[in-house]
Amino acid sequence: METTDLNLFVRTSEESISGWNRSKIVDALIRETLIDRDSADEISKEVEQMIRKSGIEVITAPLIRELVNARLIEKGLETSRKMHTRLGMPLYDVDSLILHPNKENANVPHGPEATNLTLAEGIKKEYALLSVFSQEVADAHMNGDIHLHDLGFVDRPYCSGQSLEYIKKFGLDLPHSLSMAKPAKHAEVLLAHLVKFAAALQSHFAGAIGWDAINIFFAPYIEGMSDGDVKQLAQMLIFEFSQQAVARGGQAIFTDINIYWEIPKHFVTVPAIGPGGKFTGKTYGEYQKEAQRFAWKLFEVFKEGDGAGRPFFFPKPIVHITEKFFHTDGHMDFLNLISDVASDKGNTYYVFDRGETAKISECCRLSFKLEESDLLDAREPWRMRYCALQNVSLNLPRLAYMAKNDDTKLFNLITERFVLAVRAHKEKRVFMEKLLSLGENGPLALLTMNRDGMPYLRFNHASHLIGMVGLNEMVQIHTGEEMHDSKRALKFGIKAIAHMNLLTEKMRRQENMKIVLEQTPAESTSYRFARLDLRYFSPHAGRIVKGDVASGEVYYTNSTHLNVKHAMNPIERVTTEGLFHPLIEAGSISHVWLGEAQPSKEAIADFVIKTFKHTTNDQIAFSPEFTTCNKCHRTGRGLADTCSYCGSTDVDGITRITGYFTKVSSWNKGKLGELKDRYRNVEFFSEKRKAAND
Amino acid sequence: MPFTAPDCPAVKGFIETSFVDWKGHLASVLFLGGCNFRCPFCHNRDLVLNPGGLEDVPIEYVVATIRKYRAQWIDNIVVTGGEPTIHMNLFGLIGLLKSEGMSIKLDTNGSNPSVVKGLFNDGLIDCIAMDVKGPLDRYSRWCGLNVNERKVRESIEFIMECGIDYHFRMTVVPFLHREEDVYTVAAELQGAKDLIIQTFRPDVTLNPAFSRIKPFSADKMTEIRANVSDIMSKGKTGEQERSPRLGTVGSEHDQENLYQ
Repeated sequence: METTDLNLFVRTSEESISGWNRSKIVDALIRETLIDRDSADEISKEVEQMIRKSGIEVITAPLIRELVNARLIEKGLETSRKMHTRLGMPLYDVDSLILHPNKENANVPHGPEATNLTLAEGIKKEYALLSVFSQEVADAHMNGDIHLHDLGFVDRPYCSGQSLEYIKKFGLDLPHSLSMAKPAKHAEVLLAHLVKFAAALQSHFAGAIGWDAINIFFAPYIEGMSDGDVKQLAQMLIFEFSQQAVARGGQAIFTDINIYWEIPKHFVTVPAIGPGGKFTGKTYGEYQKEAQRFAWKLFEVFKEGDGAGRPFFFPKPIVHITEKFFHTDGHMDFLNLISDVASDKGNTYYVFDRGETAKISECCRLSFKLEESDLLDAREPWRMRYCALQNVSLNLPRLAYMAKNDDTKLFNLITERFVLAVRAHKEKRVFMEKLLSLGENGPLALLTMNRDGMPYLRFNHASHLIGMVGLNEMVQIHTGEEMHDSKRALKFGIKAIAHMNLLTEKMRRQENMKIVLEQTPAESTSYRFARLDLRYFSPHAGRIVKGDVASGEVYYTNSTHLNVKHAMNPIERVTTEGLFHPLIEAGSISHVWLGEAQPSKEAIADFVIKTFKHTTNDQIAFSPEFTTCNKCHRTGRGLADTCSYCGSTDVDGITRITGYFTKVSSWNKGKLGELKDRYRNVEFFSEKRKAAND
Repeated sequence: MPFTAPDCPAVKGFIETSFVDWKGHLASVLFLGGCNFRCPFCHNRDLVLNPGGLEDVPIEYVVATIRKYRAQWIDNIVVTGGEPTIHMNLFGLIGLLKSEGMSIKLDTNGSNPSVVKGLFNDGLIDCIAMDVKGPLDRYSRWCGLNVNERKVRESIEFIMECGIDYHFRMTVVPFLHREEDVYTVAAELQGAKDLIIQTFRPDVTLNPAFSRIKPFSADKMTEIRANVSDIMSKGKTGEQERSPRLGTVGSEHDQENLYQ
């Protein structure tokens, strides 16, 4: 029969309506799959026959494709069907996406840009699972054995640590940009370059953009500026990063700024770059006063908060506490200032670099130890650009359900999952290599730009992160006790992480890839794993998952943390959680949830010093809670239903979700369950504690 | 170290680590039961009215915990209540804590100046925090029963002169206190180092009727604090002007702190 016999119109993907043309089916099958022309012809005829019988007058191209797929299944041509798959979303889903907010990542506001992001992420996620990863890896992700983070950003590296020196030295000269800027001559211009570059980078990385030693690298530019001007600059920096929700999906740029009170040893003798990208003739060691001035002003701004007195969500200030910190003049005053901010607004992250290690932190928890070769890089700090290609987390509780109290089996399962995670990394690596090999004409042109004899993204330095979720529940299932219950349970937890640490070493050598353990932030993963385990491992899982099963607000405890609900003295918590930190190379954190309590800055400073001296804890943060009013635009302490100033009920709660502050209304159900449980260190006769604010 | 518990009042509560009970320090906190006041706004109802119903914390446990944290973390301890000074054997407890190498802060309502003086004379306390319930002339109104105001006044005078660190605190309760009452207290305490103004918390109160009182708004409290610090600082510089700067919001004081 002739194709023109069929009086049928097809809505195509090119936004046009064409007449029926059977040969298009044949063309597509031959172009996209591996089947021969005769089979393709036969399938096309069968499909035509079916459409003819149905009497339909207008048909969409996607439907034709699915009809063809149905034929491919019938013929047992599974490989070809996969290759011929169409990615997309049902009308109903798109409708609800456009109308309702995304709860997967609380950092995404709700709006047209956010919807675009979610839609694109949806397709890229499907693409990743079908085409980037092997079936085995993809299935493990789908059923919740492991979690491949940020699959919607499969065509980007995960997160990064950047160097301000790069833009100071080379100016802002991005591939495909409309204009090129020479190195900045003024502090404000450098700031503008920084913010623009961060925005450009955010559209090339899935996660955080971290900036190392920002106060030190700004120092040569603020020489001679008045205190007022430095404060103004600090204000500009913080507001620029916190206010402009223009990165992908209308999000703020997820920025960390690393701050030092002293000049770290690896920068002391490094020649400083100043205005115009020229060496100033001095070393960074000679800019300590200026660097300190800027650090101080930054924290003054954090202390004041935004226009409504709320904490700034971004950038996140990470202060490095080192041995040298304690030998640097004025460190107690600075420690009191940042502790005042920690108590009042919660922004401060304290990172402890003990002994001789130097670290750069980024993302929620991720920090990189600088290795020998990196310390050589420090001589030319514009080379200090780091990234992690991907993050894969293991669902630890599930392994314990499966192991049925058999130690050997449990550890063997951990090994199997670990190897699977490494395989996922290798697959992502191959894919990224393909994208990067397209160079400045490819999709990741920015990351391949070459200004200093090497591509911007130093692929060989890239890390591959392996995280864990729910160690506490794994131990609970396996030993019958949670990690805070007994020494025995705690030791078992440490043994499991030590095993993973050993696997990391082995796999690193075997695969010649930089594989590192990290504490997964797991903002939505801890919820997803708990939900999936409730589906596959009930009724057992019902007794294990934390939160409230009836309301669906369930979660597993993050990474290696102890039960957040357990009433525990903060000293015990940072000490005990800190036992895991030396085993987790890419960084860890302990949270001290403050609730509405506002301890004195001196008490916090004292606690921080003691944590540095007497524990192995890597990083701590104090998290207060706030209620901000949408009527009178003021912010009170504690999570409340009404505004403490005007009594309005139109309020938003604000506190730290995992690695950043955000509005509670945007949290996913798992995190809401955790929020209810969080032990806020206001124990026993708590009214007295609450009243003690002065 | 061998340890025999001396004659001590029963410990009704123990917090190993507190960030808020001793301004500027990490401290452990011991709660003793019973009180000789009946302040209607008191938030430790059970501790005051029914201490026998609360479980004792063994003193052996307290000492073991202190020893565990003493070397590295905590060498300060707050003794609070209830009202610690009603216990005749308080000296035994504080002496014990002192001999364990702790610095001691005593919380008191000032009703037993002789006990406070005794502890001071024996060198057993390092800081005193006294709750001032309201202006001295109507003290029974604030604390729910007849109280010898002269003793309270004697405590205030002693605390200001004894030479060790101290804090005065006042909890402001709408309807019970008028705003002017706060300023009267501030004036009575003129020359003192500070007066910490605390917001009333209606969650649990000794007199259940008080749990329905709404605390002053955060704005009002800021204003009151600013006025109080004005009055107090005038005392320090010797000015006689006492009228508060009513209606001013916010304090320069807060910003100055950053530069300390």
